[in-house]
Amino acid sequence: MQVRLKQWLVAAILACGLFSLPVVAAEPGSAKEQAAQQRTQPGNNQPFWSDVRGGDNPYQTTQVRGVESSVLMQPAGETWRQLRNGVITIYGGWLIVAVMALIGAFYWWRGPIKLHEKQTGRQLLRFGSWDRMVHWSVAISFVLLAVTGIIILFGKHILLPIFGYTLFAWLAILAKNIHNFVGPVFAFCTILMFITFVKDNLPKLYDLQWISKAGGLFSGKHVPSGRFNAGEKAWFWGGVTLLGIVVSVTGFVLNFPNFEQGRALMQQANVIHAIAAVVFMTLSLGHIYIGTIGTEGAYEAMRTGYVDEAWAKEHHEFWYQDTLANNKGGGGVASPVAAAALKEGWKA
Amino acid sequence: MARMKFLCDAERCIECNGCVTACKQEHEVPWGVNRRRVVTLNDGLPGEKSISVACMHCSDAPCMAVCPVDCFYKTAEGVVLHDKDLCIGCGYCFYACPFGAPQFPQDGAFGLRGKMDKCTFCAGGPEDDNSAAEFKKYGRNRLAEGKLPACAEMCSTKALLGGDGDVVADIYRNRVLKRGKGSEVWGWGTAYGKPEKGATPPTGAKS
Repeated sequence: MQVRLKQWLVAAILACGLFSLPVVAAEPGSAKEQAAQQRTQPGNNQPFWSDVRGGDNPYQTTQVRGVESSVLMQPAGETWRQLRNGVITIYGGWLIVAVMALIGAFYWWRGPIKLHEKQTGRQLLRFGSWDRMVHWSVAISFVLLAVTGIIILFGKHILLPIFGYTLFAWLAILAKNIHNFVGPVFAFCTILMFITFVKDNLPKLYDLQWISKAGGLFSGKHVPSGRFNAGEKAWFWGGVTLLGIVVSVTGFVLNFPNFEQGRALMQQANVIHAIAAVVFMTLSLGHIYIGTIGTEGAYEAMRTGYVDEAWAKEHHEFWYQDTLANNKGGGGVASPVAAAALKEGWKA
Repeated sequence: MARMKFLCDAERCIECNGCVTACKQEHEVPWGVNRRRVVTLNDGLPGEKSISVACMHCSDAPCMAVCPVDCFYKTAEGVVLHDKDLCIGCGYCFYACPFGAPQFPQDGAFGLRGKMDKCTFCAGGPEDDNSAAEFKKYGRNRLAEGKLPACAEMCSTKALLGGDGDVVADIYRNRVLKRGKGSEVWGWGTAYGKPEKGATPPTGAKS
Protein backbone atom coordinates (compact mmCIF):
# COMPACT_ATOMS: atom_id res chain seq x y z
CA MET A 1 0.00 0.00 0.00
CA GLN A 2 2.73 2.36 1.00
CA VAL A 3 4.69 1.51 -2.11
CA ARG A 4 1.68 2.24 -4.29
CA LEU A 5 1.17 5.57 -2.54
CA LYS A 6 4.78 6.41 -3.18
CA GLN A 7 4.40 5.51 -6.85
CA TRP A 8 1.35 7.72 -7.16
CA LEU A 9 3.22 10.54 -5.50
CA VAL A 10 6.12 10.16 -7.91
CA ALA A 11 3.71 9.97 -10.85
CA ALA A 12 1.90 13.09 -9.68
CA ILE A 13 5.13 14.99 -9.25
CA LEU A 14 6.29 13.93 -12.69
CA ALA A 15 2.95 14.88 -14.20
CA CYS A 16 3.25 18.33 -12.66
CA GLY A 17 6.85 18.67 -13.69
CA LEU A 18 6.47 20.24 -17.08
CA PHE A 19 10.17 20.95 -17.21
CA SER A 20 11.44 17.88 -15.45
CA LEU A 21 10.50 15.66 -18.40
CA PRO A 22 14.09 15.05 -19.52
CA VAL A 23 14.77 13.57 -16.08
CA VAL A 24 12.41 10.72 -16.90
CA ALA A 25 14.85 9.49 -19.55
CA ALA A 26 17.47 8.64 -16.93
CA GLU A 27 15.86 5.54 -15.51
CA PRO A 28 17.55 3.66 -12.73
CA GLY A 29 19.43 0.73 -14.12
CA SER A 30 20.31 2.51 -17.33
CA ALA A 31 23.91 2.71 -16.15
CA LYS A 32 24.05 -1.10 -16.09
CA GLU A 33 22.53 -1.29 -19.55
CA GLN A 34 25.23 1.06 -20.71
CA ALA A 35 27.90 -1.08 -19.16
CA ALA A 36 26.53 -4.02 -21.18
CA GLN A 37 26.51 -1.87 -24.30
CA GLN A 38 30.14 -0.94 -23.71
CA ARG A 39 30.97 -4.59 -24.38
CA THR A 40 28.77 -5.09 -27.43
CA GLN A 41 29.21 -1.64 -29.00
CA PRO A 42 32.40 -0.18 -27.58
CA GLY A 43 32.41 2.81 -29.91
CA ASN A 44 28.83 3.91 -29.31
CA ASN A 45 28.67 6.51 -26.59
CA GLN A 46 25.18 7.80 -27.40
CA PRO A 47 23.34 6.40 -24.34
CA PHE A 48 26.17 7.57 -22.15
CA TRP A 49 25.86 11.14 -23.33
CA SER A 50 22.08 11.09 -23.14
CA ASP A 51 22.54 10.49 -19.45
CA VAL A 52 24.39 13.77 -19.08
CA ARG A 53 21.11 15.67 -19.31
CA GLY A 54 19.66 13.84 -16.32
CA GLY A 55 20.84 14.74 -12.87
CA ASP A 56 19.38 12.13 -10.54
CA ASN A 57 21.62 9.33 -11.70
CA PRO A 58 23.20 7.93 -8.51
CA TYR A 59 26.36 7.11 -10.44
CA GLN A 60 26.89 10.76 -11.39
CA THR A 61 29.12 12.37 -8.77
CA THR A 62 31.22 15.42 -8.05
CA GLN A 63 33.46 16.56 -5.22
CA VAL A 64 32.07 20.08 -5.35
CA ARG A 65 29.27 20.68 -2.88
CA GLY A 66 26.22 22.67 -3.78
CA VAL A 67 22.69 22.44 -5.12
CA GLU A 68 22.62 20.03 -8.06
CA SER A 69 26.38 20.33 -8.50
CA SER A 70 26.52 16.79 -9.89
CA VAL A 71 24.19 17.78 -12.74
CA LEU A 72 26.29 18.52 -15.79
CA MET A 73 23.59 20.09 -17.89
CA GLN A 74 19.98 21.17 -17.33
CA PRO A 75 18.14 21.85 -20.61
CA ALA A 76 15.04 23.07 -18.72
CA GLY A 77 16.79 26.40 -18.19
CA GLU A 78 16.28 27.20 -21.87
CA THR A 79 12.55 26.36 -21.60
CA TRP A 80 12.28 28.70 -18.63
CA ARG A 81 14.10 31.42 -20.50
CA GLN A 82 11.77 31.14 -23.49
CA LEU A 83 8.67 31.25 -21.28
CA ARG A 84 9.84 34.14 -19.13
CA ASN A 85 11.39 36.28 -21.83
CA GLY A 86 8.75 35.39 -24.40
CA VAL A 87 5.16 34.67 -23.42
CA ILE A 88 5.22 36.15 -19.92
CA THR A 89 7.10 39.36 -20.65
CA ILE A 90 5.45 40.14 -23.98
CA TYR A 91 1.86 38.98 -23.50
CA GLY A 92 1.87 39.75 -19.79
CA GLY A 93 3.12 43.26 -20.41
CA TRP A 94 0.60 44.00 -23.14
CA LEU A 95 -2.21 42.49 -21.07
CA ILE A 96 -1.56 45.00 -18.30
CA VAL A 97 -1.43 47.86 -20.82
CA ALA A 98 -4.62 46.65 -22.54
CA VAL A 99 -6.57 46.40 -19.27
CA MET A 100 -5.44 49.89 -18.29
CA ALA A 101 -6.63 51.18 -21.65
CA LEU A 102 -9.96 49.36 -21.31
CA ILE A 103 -10.56 50.83 -17.89
CA GLY A 104 -9.65 54.26 -19.19
CA ALA A 105 -12.09 53.82 -22.06
CA PHE A 106 -14.82 52.67 -19.69
CA TYR A 107 -14.28 55.71 -17.48
CA TRP A 108 -14.46 57.96 -20.51
CA TRP A 109 -17.64 56.22 -21.67
CA ARG A 110 -19.53 55.84 -18.40
CA GLY A 111 -17.75 58.08 -15.91
CA PRO A 112 -18.08 57.43 -12.19
CA ILE A 113 -21.17 55.73 -10.80
CA LYS A 114 -22.87 58.51 -8.89
CA LEU A 115 -25.49 58.30 -6.19
CA HIS A 116 -29.01 58.62 -7.60
CA GLU A 117 -30.57 59.78 -4.37
CA LYS A 118 -29.50 62.71 -2.23
CA GLN A 119 -27.32 61.92 0.75
CA THR A 120 -29.22 61.52 3.98
CA GLY A 121 -26.37 62.65 6.24
CA ARG A 122 -26.94 59.56 8.36
CA GLN A 123 -23.90 57.31 8.42
CA LEU A 124 -23.64 53.55 8.65
CA LEU A 125 -20.51 51.79 9.84
CA ARG A 126 -19.39 49.58 6.93
CA PHE A 127 -15.80 48.77 7.83
CA GLY A 128 -14.55 48.77 11.43
CA SER A 129 -11.00 49.80 12.27
CA TRP A 130 -9.77 46.18 12.14
CA ASP A 131 -11.36 45.67 8.72
CA ARG A 132 -9.70 48.78 7.39
CA MET A 133 -6.34 47.98 8.96
CA VAL A 134 -6.34 44.54 7.35
CA HIS A 135 -7.52 45.89 4.00
CA TRP A 136 -4.90 48.61 3.81
CA SER A 137 -2.11 46.30 5.01
CA VAL A 138 -2.92 43.95 2.15
CA ALA A 139 -3.44 46.84 -0.28
CA ILE A 140 -0.20 48.66 0.51
CA SER A 141 1.90 45.49 0.50
CA PHE A 142 0.21 44.42 -2.76
CA VAL A 143 0.99 47.70 -4.48
CA LEU A 144 4.60 47.58 -3.27
CA LEU A 145 4.93 44.03 -4.60
CA ALA A 146 3.26 44.92 -7.89
CA VAL A 147 5.46 47.96 -8.53
CA THR A 148 8.70 46.19 -7.55
CA GLY A 149 7.66 43.08 -9.50
CA ILE A 150 7.04 45.20 -12.59
CA ILE A 151 10.50 46.75 -12.17
CA ILE A 152 12.08 43.30 -11.99
CA LEU A 153 10.18 41.85 -14.96
CA PHE A 154 9.73 44.81 -17.30
CA GLY A 155 12.22 47.39 -15.99
CA LYS A 156 14.95 46.19 -18.33
CA HIS A 157 12.76 47.13 -21.30
CA ILE A 158 11.03 50.25 -19.94
CA LEU A 159 13.26 51.93 -17.34
CA LEU A 160 16.79 50.82 -18.21
CA PRO A 161 16.92 52.76 -21.49
CA ILE A 162 15.83 55.90 -19.63
CA PHE A 163 17.75 55.56 -16.37
CA GLY A 164 20.96 53.98 -17.58
CA TYR A 165 22.73 51.00 -16.01
CA THR A 166 23.93 52.42 -12.69
CA LEU A 167 20.72 54.09 -11.59
CA PHE A 168 18.53 51.27 -12.78
CA ALA A 169 20.64 48.60 -11.02
CA TRP A 170 20.34 50.62 -7.81
CA LEU A 171 16.58 50.80 -8.26
CA ALA A 172 16.40 47.08 -9.11
CA ILE A 173 18.30 46.07 -5.95
CA LEU A 174 15.91 48.18 -3.92
CA ALA A 175 12.96 46.63 -5.76
CA LYS A 176 14.25 43.11 -5.23
CA ASN A 177 14.77 43.60 -1.49
CA ILE A 178 11.41 45.30 -1.00
CA HIS A 179 9.77 42.50 -2.97
CA ASN A 180 11.48 39.78 -0.94
CA PHE A 181 10.77 41.27 2.47
CA VAL A 182 7.26 42.61 1.83
CA GLY A 183 6.24 39.31 0.21
CA PRO A 184 5.92 37.36 3.47
CA VAL A 185 4.09 40.34 5.04
CA PHE A 186 1.59 40.23 2.20
CA ALA A 187 1.09 36.48 2.66
CA PHE A 188 0.46 36.95 6.39
CA CYS A 189 -1.95 39.87 5.87
CA THR A 190 -3.79 37.91 3.18
CA ILE A 191 -4.49 35.17 5.71
CA LEU A 192 -5.84 37.80 8.12
CA MET A 193 -7.94 39.24 5.33
CA PHE A 194 -9.40 35.86 4.50
CA ILE A 195 -10.39 35.27 8.12
CA THR A 196 -11.80 38.79 8.46
CA PHE A 197 -13.97 38.86 5.36
CA VAL A 198 -14.79 35.23 4.59
CA LYS A 199 -18.13 35.25 6.45
CA ASP A 200 -19.70 38.00 4.33
CA ASN A 201 -18.23 36.57 1.14
CA LEU A 202 -19.96 33.20 1.31
CA PRO A 203 -22.05 32.80 -1.84
CA LYS A 204 -25.78 33.43 -1.50
CA LEU A 205 -28.63 32.60 -3.86
CA TYR A 206 -29.29 36.23 -4.67
CA ASP A 207 -25.76 36.51 -6.07
CA LEU A 208 -27.02 34.67 -9.17
CA GLN A 209 -29.27 37.57 -10.00
CA TRP A 210 -26.35 39.97 -9.66
CA ILE A 211 -24.22 37.80 -11.95
CA SER A 212 -26.96 37.44 -14.58
CA LYS A 213 -27.22 41.22 -14.81
CA ALA A 214 -23.45 41.72 -14.56
CA GLY A 215 -24.08 43.89 -11.54
CA GLY A 216 -25.87 46.46 -13.64
CA LEU A 217 -22.59 47.32 -15.33
CA PHE A 218 -24.28 48.06 -18.64
CA SER A 219 -27.82 48.92 -17.60
CA GLY A 220 -26.68 51.30 -14.88
CA LYS A 221 -29.29 49.88 -12.52
CA HIS A 222 -28.14 48.50 -9.18
CA VAL A 223 -28.87 44.90 -8.29
CA PRO A 224 -29.57 44.31 -4.61
CA SER A 225 -26.77 42.59 -2.74
CA GLY A 226 -25.51 41.75 0.73
CA ARG A 227 -22.52 43.36 2.41
CA PHE A 228 -20.49 42.29 -0.60
CA ASN A 229 -21.93 41.86 -4.09
CA ALA A 230 -21.08 38.93 -6.35
CA GLY A 231 -18.35 40.91 -8.07
CA GLU A 232 -16.64 41.61 -4.77
CA LYS A 233 -17.09 37.97 -3.83
CA ALA A 234 -15.47 36.86 -7.09
CA TRP A 235 -12.52 39.15 -6.33
CA PHE A 236 -12.37 37.74 -2.79
CA TRP A 237 -12.34 34.09 -3.85
CA GLY A 238 -10.57 34.27 -7.20
CA GLY A 239 -8.20 37.12 -6.44
CA VAL A 240 -7.41 37.44 -2.74
CA THR A 241 -7.81 33.77 -1.89
CA LEU A 242 -6.83 31.72 -4.96
CA LEU A 243 -4.28 34.03 -6.56
CA GLY A 244 -3.12 35.07 -3.10
CA ILE A 245 -2.30 31.46 -2.25
CA VAL A 246 -0.66 30.83 -5.63
CA VAL A 247 1.63 33.86 -5.55
CA SER A 248 2.44 33.33 -1.87
CA VAL A 249 3.37 29.66 -2.15
CA THR A 250 5.42 30.12 -5.34
CA GLY A 251 6.91 33.27 -3.85
CA PHE A 252 8.16 31.40 -0.79
CA VAL A 253 9.77 28.78 -3.04
CA LEU A 254 11.69 31.55 -4.81
CA ASN A 255 12.36 33.66 -1.73
CA PHE A 256 14.07 30.95 0.32
CA PRO A 257 16.57 29.11 -1.87
CA ASN A 258 18.44 28.24 1.34
CA PHE A 259 16.29 25.11 1.59
CA GLU A 260 18.32 23.82 -1.36
CA GLN A 261 15.39 23.26 -3.70
CA GLY A 262 16.41 22.42 -7.24
CA ARG A 263 16.33 24.65 -10.27
CA ALA A 264 13.41 22.84 -11.91
CA LEU A 265 11.17 23.64 -8.95
CA MET A 266 12.25 27.28 -8.93
CA GLN A 267 11.74 27.63 -12.68
CA GLN A 268 8.22 26.24 -12.39
CA ALA A 269 7.54 28.43 -9.35
CA ASN A 270 8.79 31.48 -11.21
CA VAL A 271 6.60 30.83 -14.27
CA ILE A 272 3.47 30.25 -12.15
CA HIS A 273 4.35 33.22 -9.91
CA ALA A 274 4.76 35.59 -12.85
CA ILE A 275 1.58 34.49 -14.66
CA ALA A 276 -0.52 34.57 -11.48
CA ALA A 277 0.95 37.95 -10.54
CA VAL A 278 0.13 39.47 -13.94
CA VAL A 279 -3.47 38.21 -13.71
CA PHE A 280 -3.63 39.43 -10.09
CA MET A 281 -2.43 42.89 -11.14
CA THR A 282 -4.92 43.19 -14.00
CA LEU A 283 -7.80 42.17 -11.72
CA SER A 284 -6.57 44.55 -9.03
CA LEU A 285 -6.70 47.39 -11.56
CA GLY A 286 -10.42 46.73 -11.87
CA HIS A 287 -10.83 46.60 -8.09
CA ILE A 288 -8.85 49.80 -7.58
CA TYR A 289 -10.82 51.57 -10.31
CA ILE A 290 -14.21 50.58 -8.89
CA GLY A 291 -13.03 51.37 -5.36
CA THR A 292 -11.73 54.84 -6.16
CA ILE A 293 -12.72 56.99 -9.14
CA GLY A 294 -15.23 54.47 -10.51
CA THR A 295 -17.76 54.66 -7.70
CA GLU A 296 -18.75 57.68 -5.71
CA GLY A 297 -18.38 57.00 -2.01
CA ALA A 298 -16.54 53.67 -2.28
CA TYR A 299 -13.09 54.97 -1.36
CA GLU A 300 -14.44 56.96 1.61
CA ALA A 301 -16.11 53.78 2.88
CA MET A 302 -12.75 52.07 3.19
CA ARG A 303 -10.94 55.18 4.41
CA THR A 304 -13.32 56.33 7.10
CA GLY A 305 -15.29 53.14 7.54
CA TYR A 306 -18.65 54.92 7.13
CA VAL A 307 -21.11 55.17 4.28
CA ASP A 308 -24.19 57.27 3.83
CA GLU A 309 -27.49 55.49 4.18
CA ALA A 310 -28.41 56.47 0.64
CA TRP A 311 -25.21 54.85 -0.63
CA ALA A 312 -25.85 51.70 1.38
CA LYS A 313 -29.41 51.44 0.08
CA GLU A 314 -28.34 51.84 -3.53
CA HIS A 315 -25.24 49.67 -3.55
CA HIS A 316 -25.93 47.00 -0.95
CA GLU A 317 -29.63 46.94 -0.31
CA PHE A 318 -29.82 43.67 1.63
CA TRP A 319 -26.92 44.69 3.82
CA TYR A 320 -28.60 48.06 4.39
CA GLN A 321 -31.82 46.38 5.52
CA ASP A 322 -29.93 43.95 7.76
CA THR A 323 -27.94 46.73 9.35
CA LEU A 324 -31.02 48.80 10.02
CA ALA A 325 -32.73 45.79 11.55
CA ASN A 326 -29.70 45.11 13.75
CA ASN A 327 -29.60 48.74 14.82
CA LYS A 328 -33.20 48.21 16.05
CA GLY A 329 -34.56 50.73 13.63
CA GLY A 330 -32.34 53.46 14.97
CA GLY A 331 -30.87 54.23 11.58
CA GLY A 332 -27.38 55.51 11.01
CA VAL A 333 -25.26 57.54 13.34
CA ALA A 334 -23.41 60.67 12.44
CA SER A 335 -20.03 59.78 13.89
CA PRO A 336 -17.39 62.51 14.19
CA VAL A 337 -15.18 60.69 11.70
CA ALA A 338 -17.98 60.29 9.24
CA ALA A 339 -19.05 63.88 9.63
CA ALA A 340 -15.53 65.01 8.88
CA ALA A 341 -15.42 62.75 5.87
CA LEU A 342 -18.69 64.16 4.68
CA LYS A 343 -17.33 67.66 5.01
CA GLU A 344 -14.28 67.11 2.82
CA GLY A 345 -15.35 64.39 0.48
CA TRP A 346 -17.87 62.97 -1.91
CA LYS A 347 -20.37 65.69 -2.56
CA ALA A 348 -23.43 64.69 -4.48
CA MET B 1 39.89 37.83 -33.61
CA ALA B 2 39.82 34.56 -31.78
CA ARG B 3 36.54 33.22 -30.38
CA MET B 4 37.40 31.76 -26.97
CA LYS B 5 35.97 28.35 -26.09
CA PHE B 6 36.38 25.59 -23.53
CA LEU B 7 36.55 21.94 -24.52
CA CYS B 8 36.82 19.00 -22.15
CA ASP B 9 38.05 15.72 -23.58
CA ALA B 10 36.14 13.04 -21.67
CA GLU B 11 38.55 10.35 -22.92
CA ARG B 12 41.38 12.10 -21.11
CA CYS B 13 39.90 13.64 -17.95
CA ILE B 14 41.05 11.68 -14.90
CA GLU B 15 39.02 13.59 -12.31
CA CYS B 16 42.07 14.94 -10.51
CA ASN B 17 40.29 18.25 -9.83
CA GLY B 18 43.49 20.10 -10.68
CA CYS B 19 41.48 22.58 -12.75
CA VAL B 20 39.16 23.28 -9.80
CA THR B 21 42.13 23.89 -7.53
CA ALA B 22 43.96 25.99 -10.10
CA CYS B 23 40.90 28.20 -10.51
CA LYS B 24 40.43 28.66 -6.78
CA GLN B 25 44.10 29.47 -6.29
CA GLU B 26 44.39 31.81 -9.26
CA HIS B 27 41.36 33.94 -8.44
CA GLU B 28 41.18 33.53 -4.66
CA VAL B 29 37.46 32.80 -4.97
CA PRO B 30 35.49 32.89 -1.72
CA TRP B 31 34.80 29.73 0.24
CA GLY B 32 31.74 27.91 -1.06
CA VAL B 33 31.99 29.39 -4.54
CA ASN B 34 33.16 26.99 -7.24
CA ARG B 35 33.63 28.48 -10.65
CA ARG B 36 34.62 25.08 -12.02
CA ARG B 37 33.70 21.54 -11.05
CA VAL B 38 34.44 18.03 -12.26
CA VAL B 39 31.46 15.71 -12.69
CA THR B 40 32.02 11.97 -13.01
CA LEU B 41 29.48 9.97 -15.00
CA ASN B 42 28.89 6.30 -14.25
CA ASP B 43 31.20 6.60 -11.29
CA GLY B 44 32.60 3.15 -10.47
CA LEU B 45 31.02 1.46 -13.50
CA PRO B 46 32.67 0.30 -16.71
CA GLY B 47 32.92 3.21 -19.11
CA GLU B 48 33.25 5.83 -16.37
CA LYS B 49 33.98 9.28 -17.73
CA SER B 50 34.65 12.65 -16.17
CA ILE B 51 33.98 16.16 -17.43
CA SER B 52 35.29 19.42 -16.12
CA VAL B 53 32.64 22.11 -16.46
CA ALA B 54 32.43 25.85 -15.85
CA CYS B 55 30.85 28.74 -17.70
CA MET B 56 31.10 27.82 -21.39
CA HIS B 57 30.78 31.45 -22.58
CA CYS B 58 27.81 30.60 -24.81
CA SER B 59 27.23 32.27 -28.14
CA ASP B 60 23.59 33.02 -27.20
CA ALA B 61 24.05 33.18 -23.44
CA PRO B 62 20.83 32.47 -21.47
CA CYS B 63 22.18 34.31 -18.40
CA MET B 64 22.58 37.43 -20.49
CA ALA B 65 19.05 37.08 -21.86
CA VAL B 66 17.26 36.72 -18.53
CA CYS B 67 19.27 39.17 -16.38
CA PRO B 68 16.77 41.81 -15.14
CA VAL B 69 19.46 44.52 -14.98
CA ASP B 70 21.36 43.50 -18.12
CA CYS B 71 24.64 43.24 -16.20
CA PHE B 72 26.25 40.78 -18.65
CA TYR B 73 28.37 41.74 -21.59
CA LYS B 74 30.48 39.91 -24.12
CA THR B 75 34.03 40.76 -25.04
CA ALA B 76 35.27 40.88 -28.60
CA GLU B 77 36.71 37.39 -28.00
CA GLY B 78 33.28 35.96 -27.12
CA VAL B 79 33.91 35.80 -23.38
CA VAL B 80 30.73 36.34 -21.35
CA LEU B 81 31.47 38.63 -18.41
CA HIS B 82 29.31 40.46 -15.89
CA ASP B 83 29.40 43.64 -13.85
CA LYS B 84 29.13 42.90 -10.12
CA ASP B 85 28.31 46.54 -9.39
CA LEU B 86 25.06 46.07 -11.31
CA CYS B 87 24.21 42.50 -10.23
CA ILE B 88 21.22 42.36 -7.86
CA GLY B 89 21.69 38.70 -6.91
CA CYS B 90 18.27 37.53 -8.10
CA GLY B 91 19.52 34.11 -9.21
CA TYR B 92 17.81 34.16 -12.62
CA CYS B 93 21.09 33.43 -14.42
CA PHE B 94 21.39 30.32 -12.25
CA TYR B 95 17.91 29.17 -13.29
CA ALA B 96 18.66 29.71 -16.96
CA CYS B 97 22.25 28.46 -17.26
CA PRO B 98 22.43 24.94 -18.70
CA PHE B 99 25.82 24.31 -17.09
CA GLY B 100 25.15 25.46 -13.53
CA ALA B 101 27.89 28.05 -13.83
CA PRO B 102 26.57 31.01 -11.79
CA GLN B 103 27.50 30.80 -8.12
CA PHE B 104 26.37 32.83 -5.13
CA PRO B 105 28.37 33.56 -1.98
CA GLN B 106 25.37 33.52 0.40
CA ASP B 107 22.74 30.96 1.28
CA GLY B 108 19.92 33.19 0.12
CA ALA B 109 17.15 33.40 2.77
CA PHE B 110 14.87 36.27 1.65
CA GLY B 111 16.71 36.03 -1.67
CA LEU B 112 19.87 37.55 -0.22
CA ARG B 113 22.38 35.66 -2.35
CA GLY B 114 25.06 38.32 -2.74
CA LYS B 115 26.66 39.16 -6.08
CA MET B 116 26.82 36.39 -8.61
CA ASP B 117 30.25 34.92 -9.29
CA LYS B 118 31.25 32.78 -12.23
CA CYS B 119 34.13 31.75 -14.46
CA THR B 120 35.52 34.73 -16.37
CA PHE B 121 37.68 32.72 -18.77
CA CYS B 122 40.41 34.42 -16.73
CA ALA B 123 39.38 37.70 -18.36
CA GLY B 124 38.45 39.77 -15.28
CA GLY B 125 35.62 42.27 -15.39
CA PRO B 126 34.72 45.78 -16.49
CA GLU B 127 37.34 47.45 -14.24
CA ASP B 128 40.80 48.40 -15.54
CA ASP B 129 42.84 45.35 -16.53
CA ASN B 130 44.71 43.83 -13.57
CA SER B 131 43.62 46.59 -11.20
CA ALA B 132 43.15 45.78 -7.52
CA ALA B 133 39.40 46.36 -7.83
CA GLU B 134 39.18 43.93 -10.73
CA PHE B 135 41.13 41.26 -8.88
CA LYS B 136 39.00 41.60 -5.78
CA LYS B 137 35.74 41.17 -7.67
CA TYR B 138 36.61 38.85 -10.54
CA GLY B 139 40.09 37.44 -9.95
CA ARG B 140 43.12 37.64 -12.20
CA ASN B 141 42.89 38.87 -15.77
CA ARG B 142 45.20 36.40 -17.48
CA LEU B 143 43.97 37.17 -20.98
CA ALA B 144 45.16 40.75 -20.53
CA GLU B 145 48.56 39.32 -19.60
CA GLY B 146 48.61 37.27 -22.79
CA LYS B 147 47.93 33.98 -20.98
CA LEU B 148 45.16 31.41 -21.33
CA PRO B 149 42.84 30.21 -18.52
CA ALA B 150 44.65 28.75 -15.51
CA CYS B 151 42.47 25.63 -15.34
CA ALA B 152 43.34 24.50 -18.87
CA GLU B 153 47.03 25.40 -18.47
CA MET B 154 47.15 23.35 -15.26
CA CYS B 155 45.38 20.28 -16.66
CA SER B 156 47.72 17.31 -16.19
CA THR B 157 46.37 15.25 -19.10
CA LYS B 158 45.50 18.21 -21.31
CA ALA B 159 41.91 17.03 -21.26
CA LEU B 160 40.67 20.56 -20.64
CA LEU B 161 41.45 22.89 -23.51
CA GLY B 162 40.71 26.60 -23.39
CA GLY B 163 41.48 29.15 -26.05
CA ASP B 164 40.74 30.05 -29.67
CA GLY B 165 37.84 27.78 -30.62
CA ASP B 166 39.33 26.93 -34.02
CA VAL B 167 42.69 25.91 -32.58
CA VAL B 168 41.05 23.91 -29.79
CA ALA B 169 38.81 22.12 -32.29
CA ASP B 170 41.83 21.27 -34.48
CA ILE B 171 43.70 19.72 -31.55
CA TYR B 172 40.66 17.69 -30.66
CA ARG B 173 40.08 16.57 -34.23
CA ASN B 174 43.63 15.23 -34.46
CA ARG B 175 43.15 13.36 -31.22
CA VAL B 176 39.96 11.73 -32.42
CA LEU B 177 41.57 10.73 -35.73
CA LYS B 178 44.53 9.15 -33.91
CA ARG B 179 42.59 7.24 -31.26
CA GLY B 180 39.56 6.47 -33.43
CA LYS B 181 36.98 7.09 -30.73
CA GLY B 182 35.58 9.68 -28.36
CA SER B 183 34.47 12.20 -30.94
CA GLU B 184 31.78 13.72 -28.75
CA VAL B 185 32.57 17.33 -28.01
CA TRP B 186 30.60 17.67 -24.84
CA GLY B 187 28.48 20.80 -24.39
CA TRP B 188 29.42 22.49 -27.65
CA GLY B 189 25.99 22.06 -29.22
CA THR B 190 24.35 23.75 -26.24
CA ALA B 191 26.98 26.44 -25.80
CA TYR B 192 28.00 27.34 -29.33
CA GLY B 193 25.18 25.85 -31.43
CA LYS B 194 23.28 29.10 -31.79
CA PRO B 195 24.23 32.26 -33.67
CA GLU B 196 26.41 34.67 -31.74
CA LYS B 197 24.50 37.33 -29.81
CA GLY B 198 25.53 40.45 -27.96
CA ALA B 199 29.16 40.28 -29.03
CA THR B 200 29.87 43.96 -28.93
CA PRO B 201 33.14 44.99 -27.34
CA PRO B 202 32.41 47.02 -24.21
CA THR B 203 33.45 50.62 -24.29
CA GLY B 204 34.93 50.72 -20.82
CA ALA B 205 32.96 49.89 -17.71
CA LYS B 206 29.20 49.98 -17.89
CA SER B 207 28.72 51.48 -14.47
